[in-house]
Amino acid sequence: MNTSKPVAASLAVLGYIIMIVPILFVVATAFTSGSTLRFPPEGFSFQWFEAALDYAPFTGALFTSLQLAVCSTALALAVGVPATLAIHRGSLPGKGLVEGLFLSPLIIPELVVGLALYQQLIITFRIDNFPVLLLGHTALLLPYAVRVTGAALAGSDVSLEEASRGLGASPIRTFFSITLPMLRPGIFSAALLGFVTSFNNVPLSLLLQSRESSTLPVTMLDYVQQNYDPMVAAISTLILAATVVVAVVAERTVGFAKIFGGINR
Amino acid sequence: MNTSHAAAARFESVTQTFGDFAAVDGIDLSIAEGKLTTLLGPSGCGKTTSLRMLAGYARPTSGKIYIQGKDATTAPPEKRGLGMVFQSYALFPHMTVGDNVGYGLKLRKTSRAELQTRVQESLEMVGLSHLAGQKPRKLSGGQQQRVALARAIAIRPRLLLLDEPLSNLDARLRVQMRAEIRRIQNETGLTVVLVTHDQDEALEMSDDMVLMRQGKIMQQGSPEAVFGAPASRFVANFLGYENFLALDSTRQITVRPEHLITTPTSPQDPAAVNPDAAAGPGLHLRGTVVDVAYRGVDVIVTSRALDPTGQQVQLLSNMRADALSHLTPGDEVLLSAPGDRLVALAAEPEAASSAAGAAR
Amino acid sequence: MTRRGTVALLLIPGLAFLLIGFLVPALGILFAAPGANTMDIFARVGTMFTDPYDLRIIGRTIGLGLIVTVLCVVLGFPIAYLLARSTSRWAGILLALAIFPLLLSNVVRTFGWLVVLGSNGALGQLLTWLGITDSPPQLLYTPFAIVMGLTQLFLPLAIVSCYSAVSQIDAGLDDAARGLGASKLRTFWDLVVPLAAPGIVVAATLVFAGSVTAYTTPYLLGGSRQRMLATELFSYSSVTVDWVSASATAIVMTLLVVAVSVTAARIGRKGSVS
Repeated sequence: MNTSKPVAASLAVLGYIIMIVPILFVVATAFTSGSTLRFPPEGFSFQWFEAALDYAPFTGALFTSLQLAVCSTALALAVGVPATLAIHRGSLPGKGLVEGLFLSPLIIPELVVGLALYQQLIITFRIDNFPVLLLGHTALLLPYAVRVTGAALAGSDVSLEEASRGLGASPIRTFFSITLPMLRPGIFSAALLGFVTSFNNVPLSLLLQSRESSTLPVTMLDYVQQNYDPMVAAISTLILAATVVVAVVAERTVGFAKIFGGINR
Repeated sequence: MNTSHAAAARFESVTQTFGDFAAVDGIDLSIAEGKLTTLLGPSGCGKTTSLRMLAGYARPTSGKIYIQGKDATTAPPEKRGLGMVFQSYALFPHMTVGDNVGYGLKLRKTSRAELQTRVQESLEMVGLSHLAGQKPRKLSGGQQQRVALARAIAIRPRLLLLDEPLSNLDARLRVQMRAEIRRIQNETGLTVVLVTHDQDEALEMSDDMVLMRQGKIMQQGSPEAVFGAPASRFVANFLGYENFLALDSTRQITVRPEHLITTPTSPQDPAAVNPDAAAGPGLHLRGTVVDVAYRGVDVIVTSRALDPTGQQVQLLSNMRADALSHLTPGDEVLLSAPGDRLVALAAEPEAASSAAGAAR
Repeated sequence: MTRRGTVALLLIPGLAFLLIGFLVPALGILFAAPGANTMDIFARVGTMFTDPYDLRIIGRTIGLGLIVTVLCVVLGFPIAYLLARSTSRWAGILLALAIFPLLLSNVVRTFGWLVVLGSNGALGQLLTWLGITDSPPQLLYTPFAIVMGLTQLFLPLAIVSCYSAVSQIDAGLDDAARGLGASKLRTFWDLVVPLAAPGIVVAATLVFAGSVTAYTTPYLLGGSRQRMLATELFSYSSVTVDWVSASATAIVMTLLVVAVSVTAARIGRKGSVS
């Protein structure tokens, strides 16, 4: 890096240390043959990976989290993409207002949304935990779906759709053969971002989960609070590896920076 | 080149390479004090890189750059005291026009009163003193261009460097600004280095013209000298000579379209060019009209002919519309040009050396 | 079907999810918390600003939030600046490395600090080995741990905002300033900082809003000693089941975030007009 800016370069190095080094320690600890979170690790083994994959609460929670992430992402896109189309192509009178409404879940702290859903739907209306989790996660992902696909739509040329209509295609035909392909990168970005956001979520799931529908991050939190062993390091390392795969896929398909360029949150 | 003037800046075998690619390839160049020197050439010829090295934004891979006799090869831009106008104007968007123009003076710790006078003076010179309080974004392209110019001259630079300053303006404004820049140069007596790819701009504005190609200087001299006697086919081509003919295996000539006369042919016209065409009687060729393009004042006739070496050549002839009897594609014509209009070219020479002024 | 009908049909499912999954329950915090009435909740919001225990938690939340915000801007801006202005091919890799943590679980990222700061952790051992302390100091469950954890969490967000701001500044402006006689440092302060200010404001807002609402970090790294609004909210709603206090805490937290966002938006708007 530029050596002519020593102060900036030192701050940058410190920043990277804070961001990255703790993650490296997680990985190092995961391979220990000892039984505590001691550093340096005592010996090398895969025992904590085996233990983590054998630990039923983790595998159960992993399944719940995957299910939740897939369903909420699909739902958010299923209702979010049509809404985006209506916002950007529907010549709505209160366009800004409607868009703002769809983005509003970003403003309220997730923990507060979780509390609200807990109080109203689980306590008052006695709805099961999983449907409420799904509802909450979907509402949480809606802003991502609307903003990211909206950015793709705003960046596309309306005249392409007009040309298609002019050539004799019906509105529905035009949507499937012109609009949807233009939206594909946006939808892909939104799906990826949505999946990751839902899968990693703690604050919203915290109050909404039950023993039967406990999500992985929350289960890990509980485990860490009660046990001081490297099993969470092992499961964390697995999550890290999976996240690297997701990041590489993101980079190869739509470009890493683009995904986060569309949304600042 | 006029040697009675001291050099304001000098390049001594300056090379700038990016990997294997030499953007500037060992050029020697002298920029005359108080004159307007143009670096002219197609994109990628090294003109902008040369200017950026002169300004200090790029460092030569080898060679030396002297500014007013002092070695400035490694001096950072802020120590060079040059004024530069960028192609994009690079006006500071968060400062008013007045603050933009005064920025360099502020850095020089100029007193407030002096600063205001000089800002006012510089803005008056470009005719924009009434816009001092505006933000650049509110200005038109032409106005922004003038502010950039005022900002560069406010610091009373040792050299004023202009990097394609007019290329973002529309055609009319561009012509107007050429005169404007010349006027400012005359009023201030500044040494100006202008980079452009527009030969008309270079011909109209320069005292001294430097033609570059692939990192090398092809020819240097006054516009009249270079235009009247292009040293190579490249230079001729770049300056708008269209018609190139080989007289034999070594000798080439060129003639401008407006000097090539097209007349309907008669059977007894000579079929080939006179080998001594450039020296005496001129050019006479039989050809066939390919295209006639009517342009109002004039007509461009494209014909096909055989040059003395038997090669088929395409020749353009630019005729006044009223002087031309009706021609259609397929007509046999006689193409002729007087001997003093023919320019002899060396057979594709390598880049001309620093003594390119010898082309005179 | 009419065009208006189509548009409505496209919007209704999304709006329904928003209403049931977000808006109506959120209003319920104020007006229909189970076993609590609205007046009690508002009264409790009032006492949160007078009760010393609550005040300490609010103060800690805001204080640590501010420290983290400053740290993230001070560390994140130089990174964004160097990356945006670098022509090296490493810049792309370093940028990806800075963005990547945004995809990674907060629990995983925060867990790393347990290993670094724990009683047998790396930092404590390093300090002892260097002879700075006799025995590994207590680092976990301190404000320092929370600040480190939150900075790690939100630094990438700050970098992304600052990066997009800096990369929109024409590098030609730097050249112009240098040519007029400004040093690199002077160019940075006269040009880069003022022109990137809107991005810095966005970064600061996101980091602050994230920090004062984060749960995982204070829970894991602050423990019961360093309670913040988020951990407090959780224990009101799931340990002590005090709905009035839970709602009141939620309201305070929301007000804090909304107030900061609105102020930042106003600053941003003013900045873009002048």
